[in-house]
Amino acid sequence: MGDEEDTGKPRVLQMVRAEGADKSCVTFVLHNEDHTLGNSLRYMIMKDPEVEFCGYSITHPSESKINFRIQTKGGLSALEVFQKGLEELTDVCQHVLSKFEASMEAYKAQKDVNME
Amino acid sequence: MDTEKDVPPPKQQPMIYICGECHKENEINAKETIRCRECGYRIMYKKRTKRLVVFDAR
Amino acid sequence: MAAPGGVEEMRSRVVLGEFGVRNVHTTDFPGNYAGYDDSWDKEKFEKNFRVDVIHMDESTLEFDMVGIDAAIANAFRRILLAEVPTMAVEKVFVYNNTSIVQDEILAHRLGLIPIRADPRLFEYKSEEDECDEINTLQFQLKIKCSKNPQAAKESSDPNELYINHKVYSKHMEWVPLGSQADNLNADFRPVHDDILIAQLRPGQEIDVLMHCVKGIGKDHAKFSPVATASYRLLPEITLLQPIEGEAAERLKKCFSPGVIEIQEIKGKKLARVANARLDTFSREIFRHDDLKTLVRLARVRDHYIFSVESTGVLPPDVLVSEAIKVLMGKCQRFLEELKSIQRK
Repeated sequence: MGDEEDTGKPRVLQMVRAEGADKSCVTFVLHNEDHTLGNSLRYMIMKDPEVEFCGYSITHPSESKINFRIQTKGGLSALEVFQKGLEELTDVCQHVLSKFEASMEAYKAQKDVNME
Repeated sequence: MDTEKDVPPPKQQPMIYICGECHKENEINAKETIRCRECGYRIMYKKRTKRLVVFDAR
Repeated sequence: MAAPGGVEEMRSRVVLGEFGVRNVHTTDFPGNYAGYDDSWDKEKFEKNFRVDVIHMDESTLEFDMVGIDAAIANAFRRILLAEVPTMAVEKVFVYNNTSIVQDEILAHRLGLIPIRADPRLFEYKSEEDECDEINTLQFQLKIKCSKNPQAAKESSDPNELYINHKVYSKHMEWVPLGSQADNLNADFRPVHDDILIAQLRPGQEIDVLMHCVKGIGKDHAKFSPVATASYRLLPEITLLQPIEGEAAERLKKCFSPGVIEIQEIKGKKLARVANARLDTFSREIFRHDDLKTLVRLARVRDHYIFSVESTGVLPPDVLVSEAIKVLMGKCQRFLEELKSIQRK
């Protein structure tokens, strides 16, 4: 899975599984990503009690990709955990954004009151 | 080397120089004295190439 | 709160000791602490998370982000620096440049000038794309220096002797492409009018055309929308014992002004922590052997004091909003990729 596509589209995601390994141990290759997504996603996935191990590495400073490894307990699919992590991180961002914008609005309103 | 044959040999035309003092453009032929017709100044500058040059702002 | 040496302290405080920092890393993962449920709890996060805006003006913003992990707060900071797009000069077409500034240096200087243009109105231009109104902004800089005939004979001041001898960013003129002029009430210009680009002498001239494109700071620092974007953790100073009299005065001098205040209680001077937020952790306290054991210096692990200073291209609050959206966009990119894989 992953290596076969040689179409013009730039690669986004690859999945690498060692020979003989089951679906609970997968290394995802995230292209064009770094610590920004790697570390925040690792945090979200580590928060899942079903995850035995989650870590990432930057293969080489001049390659813009990271290897993101997930190992789960009890044969749970690493792909599902990965997807859940991304969804949770999206939710966190959504909440941070709405809270930030609400606080900003309140601050601006308060400032306008003080000006008058 | 076809391309070189197509290009006509450059004609010896008078060069235009710019006076270092009054910035007037002077036509100076070969073997002529290098001197501004306007003010007599003897330091002359070549004109910059007319070719457009593109640079990356990096 | 968070008694010294306890589990709660280990989880929620970064302690700054005399010879090192303790409890640096996030450890609240499931399975690490008996009696704690550390699995991800959306409701708990949403209940505890808050943002307080401390101060904002046209270019700077200070706000507190409380109840989030360093991994995510740091992602926002990194995105602000390197992944929120802006417009900057990318190509410089030199028609004439007889100034002493070499063409490539001039081009580089022009690239670094912040351009006031909302990047959200534009699209990225790839190498093979043609320049058009949706991916390019055009500016012209055409200026020639001459002698000032009105200058006094004996003057030696270049400002009086020459006309146009200083080339500023205000001399950059927007040249609308396509429909850019008639739609929007757009006025594209450099953020600052007084950036000195070059100095000329009579007879020298600069005639260049510039193409601005959308880009991100990861590609080149000229695209970075911030002068600085940083955070620090909220300081927490705890006095472990009452500190009185002369010792209180010395304690006060160990910290930044306003951190420690002295109260007079029944004629006795008593030290109290007034505002730990102001402290800079100078470590002066560790020079006083009698005081250093009476104070605990710590930082609150999940309280981030963000400070964002915009270059002026966009207001700082818009930059933070955009940064959060960029992180969401990254997640979406992979979620969509997963969907298309599953469909195959």
